[in-house]
Amino acid sequence: MQSVSSMSSLDHFWLVIFCAIVAFIPRFFPLLFFTKRKIPEWFNEWMRFVPVSLFTALVVKSVFIDSKYQIMTSGNLGMIISAIIVGFIAFRTRSMTLSVVIGLVSVMIFVLVLHI
Amino acid sequence: MKKNEPNWLMVLRTVMPLGLSYIPIGLACGVLLHAAGFNHLLTALISVLVFSGGAQFLIASMLTINAPMTTIILMMFFLELRYALLGSSLSRYLKGQKLPFIFFFAFSMNDENYAVNYLKFATDKHWKPSQAILVEHYSLLFWTVSNIVGSLIGSALTINLSVVDFALTALFIYMAIMQTKSRLTILVCALSGVLTIFFLVLMKSTLGLVVATLLASLTGYFIERHLITHKPESHLLYKVHDPTGQSAMEEDSDK
Repeated sequence: MQSVSSMSSLDHFWLVIFCAIVAFIPRFFPLLFFTKRKIPEWFNEWMRFVPVSLFTALVVKSVFIDSKYQIMTSGNLGMIISAIIVGFIAFRTRSMTLSVVIGLVSVMIFVLVLHI
Repeated sequence: MKKNEPNWLMVLRTVMPLGLSYIPIGLACGVLLHAAGFNHLLTALISVLVFSGGAQFLIASMLTINAPMTTIILMMFFLELRYALLGSSLSRYLKGQKLPFIFFFAFSMNDENYAVNYLKFATDKHWKPSQAILVEHYSLLFWTVSNIVGSLIGSALTINLSVVDFALTALFIYMAIMQTKSRLTILVCALSGVLTIFFLVLMKSTLGLVVATLLASLTGYFIERHLITHKPESHLLYKVHDPTGQSAMEEDSDK
């Protein structure tokens, strides 16, 4: 096995375990806390806005922000156009499959073929 | 919806678009982890235990630049903090579940299967926690198998990451559109987008996602509360037109 990293497989094993622990803590404890207690109505009303805000944030991050946390100024036009197409398809058809498939096809055309 | 369809098949049909988009992303992730020095077994292990595309891509890229273990774990912690929000917003649908259920549900929850489950819980009153955890396990299966295959193929496959990653972006766009019920939601989306750019650039970490989500959702909540008490006829509370008339039906059956 060719390895570019200086870590051994045992190091990798412990890395996976520690990452699993830090990934588990924020997934588990809030869920446990709020399923075991009576949730105030205002909390539920607030939480209704969480998914849509989070999904928008994830989309904006992948379309406009690069891996160094800077605003992408070039090379993402294909993704922007594809995102608009997906939004339109999702709005008109309400089909998850169509949205994902058409999104992938359009981003392939724009990025791999047209290079924008 | 078809009658007499067995539960496992119905859930599998629900999770299928997600499962299919996991295949190219999982393959890419397996390839990257292999290149970073992970063996096949460890790739399988991380796919099951961490089960997050973003996190696994991050680990792979940090390993290739020889980042120290503590740095990777710390970055993971900030990356995964947003799951606290996911869990909180799903909690009202999981009330009364036993501790082992909550444990295993939290264990395999991630952005994508959360999105599928939240949508089902919000629009289908017959959607049960047992089906939600099945969604998680199906998506986990798709993810892990794709990762292992990617790891086995290794460098034989060249993958354009930004293209593959767009499958998930498309999924989230779809989810955001499906969640847009009133004009106020559109405003919250726009605000969330602007705040995301601002805080990601400012904080240089995915913690910016958490801050932007918190602020945008809180703003939405306060505007809605203000409008309902002071201006109930406000245009912002109007429902968004649905060309298929589908979500209107779901709303009715919800009552």
